[in-house]
Amino acid sequence: MAFEPVLETIDLHKHFGKIHAVNGVTLSINSGEIYGLIGPNGSGKTTLIRLCLGLLRPTAGTVRIFGKAIPNKMILSDVGYMPQAGALYEELTVRENVAFFAEMCGSHEPAWIDEAIALVGLQDRARSLVRTLSGGMRQRTSLACSLAHRPRLLLLDEPTVGVDPQLRATFWSYFRRLAVSGVTLIVSSHVMDEAERCDRLGLMRQGRLLAEGTPGELRKQKNANTLEEAFLRFIEDDSERGTR
Amino acid sequence: MSLRRVRKLAWRVMRQVLRDRRTVALIIFAPILVLTLGAILFRAEPAPVSVGVVNEDEGAYSPLGGSINLGQRMLDELTAGDAFRLVILSRSEVDDRLRSGDVKAVIVFPEDFTASFLKSHQVVLDLRLEGSEPTRSKAIIAYVSQAAMKTMARMVGTYLGLSGSSPQGGGEGEVVLPVSAQVTYLYGGEQFDTFDYIAPVYIALLGMFFVFLLACIAFLRERSQGTIERLAATPASRFEIVLGYMFGLGLFGLIQVTIILFFTVWVIGIHYKGSLALMLLVVAIMAVVGINLGILASAFARTEFQVIQFIPLVLLPQALLGGTFWSISDMPTYLQPIAYAMPIYYANVALRDVMLKGWGLGEIWPNLAVLAGIGLVLVILSSLMMRREVA
Repeated sequence: MAFEPVLETIDLHKHFGKIHAVNGVTLSINSGEIYGLIGPNGSGKTTLIRLCLGLLRPTAGTVRIFGKAIPNKMILSDVGYMPQAGALYEELTVRENVAFFAEMCGSHEPAWIDEAIALVGLQDRARSLVRTLSGGMRQRTSLACSLAHRPRLLLLDEPTVGVDPQLRATFWSYFRRLAVSGVTLIVSSHVMDEAERCDRLGLMRQGRLLAEGTPGELRKQKNANTLEEAFLRFIEDDSERGTR
Repeated sequence: MSLRRVRKLAWRVMRQVLRDRRTVALIIFAPILVLTLGAILFRAEPAPVSVGVVNEDEGAYSPLGGSINLGQRMLDELTAGDAFRLVILSRSEVDDRLRSGDVKAVIVFPEDFTASFLKSHQVVLDLRLEGSEPTRSKAIIAYVSQAAMKTMARMVGTYLGLSGSSPQGGGEGEVVLPVSAQVTYLYGGEQFDTFDYIAPVYIALLGMFFVFLLACIAFLRERSQGTIERLAATPASRFEIVLGYMFGLGLFGLIQVTIILFFTVWVIGIHYKGSLALMLLVVAIMAVVGINLGILASAFARTEFQVIQFIPLVLLPQALLGGTFWSISDMPTYLQPIAYAMPIYYANVALRDVMLKGWGLGEIWPNLAVLAGIGLVLVILSSLMMRREVA
């Protein structure tokens, strides 16, 4: 029996005026994997994530989550989203923020809220107002907000931006724990050492998916020792093709 | 101090403002709009007030001047001025026409009007006022009394062979005739002053103003801090979000309008006739309209600075066109449809009906329904406007 992909996009396009922000992306992401969307700034990662969530309407192409065409509001109760910018209510406490978004996703389990806060290690600050928190704590709160309704699919847009290396390591251990428990994660990043931690990677450039595969496969394809090297070669080859 | 730095700073500030095209447009068009409206309204010739006349005067015979009819003479005097549009009525129509607002006052000349004048040398005018606009009521009393004085003066001048007709000239030996008015009010009364008439508007405008700003800025912040995007990625629908805002801010709107209302009634001591609960209902609906107007307006603002600029654009036309200081019937016809689109107009009329006329829900419901309808349309429009940013 073939497994149905958790998320798939078919020939997805998005234009903003003359800018072709997402250009024919076809993806298929399986249950329990950590899929890294890697690419430089402005390569279309955020637009792709927003298209997947139905926050933007594609110019062409389709998105399916758990086999259902997007936009589909109801499916979103099974999806967690952590936007790039904080996106928290400054005047509410950590717990109030987490509880609010959980409730919006239809979850009414106080235990799950506490669990999400504990997972990001903020039990001691649960009653603190978000505006009193440091940048790293805000990121952790933001992650907890996307987790507390126990989604089966998590889309995290550059979750470790502005996060110190120690906390970044902690985040990735959360992600792995979640994946082991069956949650599918899509994580965008432009940091290469994070790419190594993903099960599969999609390299994006100028709205296109340049290459896809496991970190090992990608290194092998370009005969590179590191992922960074491999990515640079993919980009170089792509530029050459573009100029030819 | 470095002038170079100052120049650079000024250049940067100008650049920033110029990049914000909406602000530039508002800087240019907001004052033009407000000035134009003001000029149109201040210059508009008020439509003549309709005043009813019941003339049953049968006249009388005077040994000095033969047969005279004082009622007819006063009618001629009133017709000569252009402040009123006179409507001849029969006595049985008086109450209905006053109640419908068709005529703002009715002067009744009874059968023995001339006869009793000849007997007592006193004119007692039977003046019945609609009374819901104290300023207009006072103007009518003054104008009618003046017309009566002029009539008397002319008549006495004619009969006594005196030239000149001004009884107001003062000085000894001039003829001054006693004219008094027996005034009855359908609504309001002598104790009602201009503020009693303005107060309903004041309450409605204040009730709307603060919640409008509150909603506008709160919603704007939701966008600027990115939470609206996170919210859009949940099953919550746009309609649910707008309703959530409406109820959340509605509580504060309600607290505020309660304070405004009780302060106006008990501390400032305005006169009112109808039910306080009904007044609260009207202002509460107005506050809800203000919230939804704020949410809708926030869709057009990028910064809090732009929200402040909405005050002349959204709120001043409400104050100017909503029947606050000028009756809609006094406005140029091309402005009237815009005036009828102002939610505050319906709150004004409903509040005045309750406060000055003492009307109940049974009478004011059409205006309340329109107001609630506008609120509903705004909820739908706000939800639709959100589509532009979140699919």
